Amino acid sequence: MLELMAWLEASALANLLRGLGIWTYGLLNLGHILGVSMLFGMVLLLDLRLLGLWQRIPLAAIIGPTVPLAAIGFGLAVITGIMMLSFNTTDYHGNPFLYLKLPMVVLGMINVVVFQRFGAWQRARDGQPAAVGDQGILRLAGGLSLAIWLTVVICGRMIGYW
Amino acid sequence: MPRFAQFLILLLITSAWWAVPQVQAHHGWSGNTAGEVEVTGTLVTGVSLAGAHGTLQIEDADGNVWTITLAPGPRTHRAGLRENTIPLGAEVTVIGERNENPEVYEAKVRRVIWEDQVFDVYPPR
Repeated sequence: MLELMAWLEASALANLLRGLGIWTYGLLNLGHILGVSMLFGMVLLLDLRLLGLWQRIPLAAIIGPTVPLAAIGFGLAVITGIMMLSFNTTDYHGNPFLYLKLPMVVLGMINVVVFQRFGAWQRARDGQPAAVGDQGILRLAGGLSLAIWLTVVICGRMIGYW
Repeated sequence: MPRFAQFLILLLITSAWWAVPQVQAHHGWSGNTAGEVEVTGTLVTGVSLAGAHGTLQIEDADGNVWTITLAPGPRTHRAGLRENTIPLGAEVTVIGERNENPEVYEAKVRRVIWEDQVFDVYPPR
């Protein structure tokens, strides 16, 4: 991990960013917050619906806008997050919040990939009638997703306070 | 609304993170609790204003190299301390809080003094 951190800190990207002026880090931080707020807002909406709230709104109508916006927010957060880390990467060596956050992000991505292969999700997304047992699967996935991303956001916010 | 109750329980469990005592660290100065420190030395790494906070390095009379953390870049800049203000090799005095680990020569400072100039990156209130 330390080798990877040292590599990022010494990378051309890090050197470029350090030379861009005193507001660079603050602006990257702004981009990160925009990405995270987009991602988490969409996750909250979708997961609460999966957990059983607002059942009169068809699931397909919620999946339509939330999933692509969450993906854009995620992409923005990952790019700006790596950029912010690159300034002083090795300073975060051993930071428990970062070390919990990164695997949680991976877990969140795995959750998305696996869950999208389920028939329950595909039927909900396409507006097809639910099969027996679908609701339980959807609720489990929504609860898991919410727990993962909430942990990611909490850990992320706490990194700088360690 | 039992489903909503289930959700609330889930939210509480995941939010329990907040109860972990070490989380209640003080804003940004958590690792700098060894008390007030004043260090004088020669500037060996000039002021950098990139990253979350400005930094510089000074070497004291005993040959220890101190890594000094300043305020965030724009704030340090506003206090008059720019990247090229102090030349390398100049004698600099810093006043702030030392890292809690006595093996580590690191301090987060509020004041930098060079010749007749005082830079209050965190001005006294």
